[in-house]
Amino acid sequence: MNQRQRFIRKIVYACVIAAMLLPLSWLSQPETTESKGGVLAQMRSEHQLSQAQLGEIDPASETIKLATLGMRGVAANILWTKANNYKKTEDWAGYSAALEQIAKLQPNVVSVWIFLGWNLTHNVSVEFDDYRDRYYWVIKGIKYRQEGTKYNRDSPRLLSDIGWTIAQKIGRADEHVQFRRLFREDDDFNGSRPLAQRDNWLVGREWLLTAEQVAARGVAVRGERPVLFYSHPVMCLVNYSEDLEEEGTFGEVAKNAWKKAADAWSELANRDLPTLSNVFIRLSEKEQYDEKSAQAQAQLARLTPAGLREKLVEEKKASLSESEREAYEADPSQRTKEHDSLMYLVNDKMAISHLEVASRITGSDHAAALKAAEEATNADFMSNLINIERDIVYYDYWRLRCQIEPEDDTLEARKLIYEGNQAYNAAQLVKSKELYVEGLQKWRKVLDAHPALLKDASMTDPLVESINNYRSVLHQLDETFPGPFVLQDVLDADVAFHGPRLPISQDSSAADGTPAEAAGKPAP
Amino acid sequence: MVRETDPPLFSQWLWPSVLYFLEAAAILGLLTVVLSFLVAAFRYGPVAAGDVTYQAVRTSLRDLFSLSPRRISALAWLAVQESLRRRVLVGFAVFLLILLFAGWFLDANSNDPATLYLSFVLTATTWLVLLMALFLSALSLPADIKNHTIYTIVTKPVRLGEIVLGRILGFAVIGTLMLGIMGLFSYIFVARVLNHTHEVDVASLKNVPNDSSGSRAGRTTLAQNHRHQVTLDAKGNGSTDIAQGHYHNVTASTDGDKVTYDVGPPQDLLTARVPEFATALRFKDRSGKGGDRGISVGNEWKYRSYIEGATLAAAIFTFSDITPERYPNGLPIEMTIRVFRSYKGDVEKGILGSLVLKNPKTGRASQIETFRAKDFYIDHRDIPRTLTDPTGKTIDLFDDLVADGQLEIELQCLDDSQYFGVAKPDIYLRARDASFTMNFAKSYLAIWVQMLLVTGFGVMFSTFLSGAVAMMATLATIVMGFFKQFVVDVAQGAVQGGGPIESFVRIVKKQNVTTQMEPGLSTDVIQAGDRVFMWFMTHVTGLLPDFRQFDNVDYVAHGFDIPPDVVLVQVFTALGYIAAVFAIGYLFLRTREVAR
Repeated sequence: MNQRQRFIRKIVYACVIAAMLLPLSWLSQPETTESKGGVLAQMRSEHQLSQAQLGEIDPASETIKLATLGMRGVAANILWTKANNYKKTEDWAGYSAALEQIAKLQPNVVSVWIFLGWNLTHNVSVEFDDYRDRYYWVIKGIKYRQEGTKYNRDSPRLLSDIGWTIAQKIGRADEHVQFRRLFREDDDFNGSRPLAQRDNWLVGREWLLTAEQVAARGVAVRGERPVLFYSHPVMCLVNYSEDLEEEGTFGEVAKNAWKKAADAWSELANRDLPTLSNVFIRLSEKEQYDEKSAQAQAQLARLTPAGLREKLVEEKKASLSESEREAYEADPSQRTKEHDSLMYLVNDKMAISHLEVASRITGSDHAAALKAAEEATNADFMSNLINIERDIVYYDYWRLRCQIEPEDDTLEARKLIYEGNQAYNAAQLVKSKELYVEGLQKWRKVLDAHPALLKDASMTDPLVESINNYRSVLHQLDETFPGPFVLQDVLDADVAFHGPRLPISQDSSAADGTPAEAAGKPAP
Repeated sequence: MVRETDPPLFSQWLWPSVLYFLEAAAILGLLTVVLSFLVAAFRYGPVAAGDVTYQAVRTSLRDLFSLSPRRISALAWLAVQESLRRRVLVGFAVFLLILLFAGWFLDANSNDPATLYLSFVLTATTWLVLLMALFLSALSLPADIKNHTIYTIVTKPVRLGEIVLGRILGFAVIGTLMLGIMGLFSYIFVARVLNHTHEVDVASLKNVPNDSSGSRAGRTTLAQNHRHQVTLDAKGNGSTDIAQGHYHNVTASTDGDKVTYDVGPPQDLLTARVPEFATALRFKDRSGKGGDRGISVGNEWKYRSYIEGATLAAAIFTFSDITPERYPNGLPIEMTIRVFRSYKGDVEKGILGSLVLKNPKTGRASQIETFRAKDFYIDHRDIPRTLTDPTGKTIDLFDDLVADGQLEIELQCLDDSQYFGVAKPDIYLRARDASFTMNFAKSYLAIWVQMLLVTGFGVMFSTFLSGAVAMMATLATIVMGFFKQFVVDVAQGAVQGGGPIESFVRIVKKQNVTTQMEPGLSTDVIQAGDRVFMWFMTHVTGLLPDFRQFDNVDYVAHGFDIPPDVVLVQVFTALGYIAAVFAIGYLFLRTREVAR
């Protein structure tokens, strides 16, 4: 190759390089104050993916990412494997160091912060026997996730997860009594927060509300049903109120706490919530839709000629297969298993929709009937949708609780039972008996006013526990459990929920009869 | 500290290893001679081949046995100068940079910062020094040959063996120098980062309930992301609890009405315990029947086994060489006991356990000593010389409970349906504390040994391979050395997912490692290929040093003295390999045209 050829070759290379730089510049020109930058910069801006938009720019994280020389995925994999091994061999210092490195390598992957934070709060903490060590790891897991918010400040999921963990892990763990106490005493975590506000439910709620604020700015809530996402801060207030009473705080403080919870439920009930059906609903509007449906159905019924529904039934029956018809016509008490399984299909086939009825109405009423049918169908659809969302958050029960708990009778009843339990634990039998009797009488009054409370085991369970304490007190005082018991319906409801319970002890059952007997049911 | 296997005793290791080394050297030497003969026979015919081989062996032996220390040191000095010319100090600058910014990458809230920081500096140093040794050793000789600068040496009256040894020594000197400076900086870094103190938060001090002695409890201020609970006696002296693996002593001084509390430096943070581990551990099951292991509580890691509470189940540790001379003040026991609760119980209290000291011959036992287990903490207990037996009679530790220097310590869990988990190293006697600085130096000695090995292999490969290839070969030696056990496990089928070919097929097919390969011809072919490949790999790795054997990080990081036996085994192993790679390097260099 002579010198001229070499020169030409170099010129060609330079031209090719220059030609390749043009599309590169078009693609990756950086954003400046005067220019929107290249295609990639614009896409980053549009989808809010630039590092500055996601969160803080951490030099440590950027350095470690650069130091892996494009092998970030491999490095992350190695670190995950190491972390798993550290966890297996109970090397917690190594484990938490590996987690820090993983977070530095993958700072904008929200699920990494959530998953590893969960590991610390829920899986590592329980490896320790001392509850103080457990608390340390719970807080470490929470702080780990808080660190994640620096890199992902607009992630409702991460913010909500932090709030949920502070609230639920500290407030619902087996060691929740100790955890809540340590949380109140934790100056390092709470900083300058006043002592009265150092409650895990309230602090958790702050984070959950921050998540809500981010979602209100239009950031999608992913990974959780909206109704659940918005119900967490409300339930924090409910749980806060419950724990206040469980720890012996009653009076105005508890009353206000419950009222605040009731207000929060009302607010949630009137919030526009997206659903899986791409329709926004409000939890409070179910009754309105039910009313609307009833009116439309009544209008449809007025327009329906006599015998049309029966005719439709006959037609549908005729379309059933022989086995389906046999199942349909069988006496419900005589149906076999095959019949029962067939009936799921048969019921669907035999259902007569409003529109089916309306479409068979002819003449001048046809249009009005179709309109009424459509209205009823739409209202039923919305009512059903709201009902599903309500069931998910146990709306009816908690609304009712929040209404009745701030009432003076309920507060008094709870206080008396609490004091009765305290006296019982302190072996003050006579005093505890008096407090129980008075408290149970108060409960009678509350339940008479709100019988719907008996529909839920979470209401009756603590009451039954107190009744059992009362039974035990009577036994120790050589007294018999009263024949027509003042809260017999509570015991009945308990048996319905859980089945007959085992006797508290052989002695007490012999003397007083088991709860099952008291409830008039056969003993197991 | 976790010790899954007992380290070798130097005295038991040495002679079998020397014999093995000599055996291997003899076989390799014989093979070399036979191969040389065959090559020569192919080139010059069988008669001339005998003469050529004889001459080669004679020259080689003469070369090897008439090495001149003066010439070697001169060549070593050349290697040092060359290293400096190649800006080897950049490696040191990188190390300083890493130390400067280490705080960015390390968990400031670690529950065990000493372990974290020590592991970090030792690991960072190891990798940096090994990389430096790799680059220096593998690229030097090929570059000299390529640039013909080697002629300035081979034309001088030097022997080929001296060239190889000079290079190894020269690079080792540079590595040693670097390592020494790195060690010094690392030590200063760790000591400075971990050194801290607190103040007693006077407002937090409150009288201890149900204590008439005037003791008070409170807490310290926050320092280095932690604080301690502190318990003081009536005079204001006391100590803190253990947090982040250390505690502090507190002393009070009075100036008029004003009491000042002085919190001392961290204790047990940078330490080098010299433990006397049990020589044996046996278990008794719930009915009192003996066995090698306790029960499993379902952990994936089988290191510890468990004993059931409130039954006859026990873990019995046998200690040897227990003499009044070694333990004049009684036995300082330290134990790390894992707790497994099968039900919540009283979370405010630890699980109750007991220790009984027993004479292994007579069965005479001490009165039980109860304790609350401290899960994941090292619990220190001092057993006095004078004890009582179960009847209340006074007994002497050494006269009544030790037989032929042996003593048994029986551990039991006392809470019903709760469990204690132990392994043999979990209860030991803290015979004494060695110097942490010396221990730190010993850990650097292990890194030095690794550096020497990499240098040796790098120079050896560079005698017959080009620079890049020699570097790759040395790198492969390091990687395979670190994963030696893994290769053996793959070959023996102890690792799920099969050999390399099967693994590749599984990746392509996105098939889980736990699912069986579909039976058939293709699977048979894949697995047969893997067997051949793994046979080769196992034998190659068998020849390479196990680099994990030189890892002393765990000892230093967890505050345990590196046993002298471990250090001696490491050094002698490295010397054996250096002798081998020197001989191989010399022989290969002889085959190079440049050397004639």
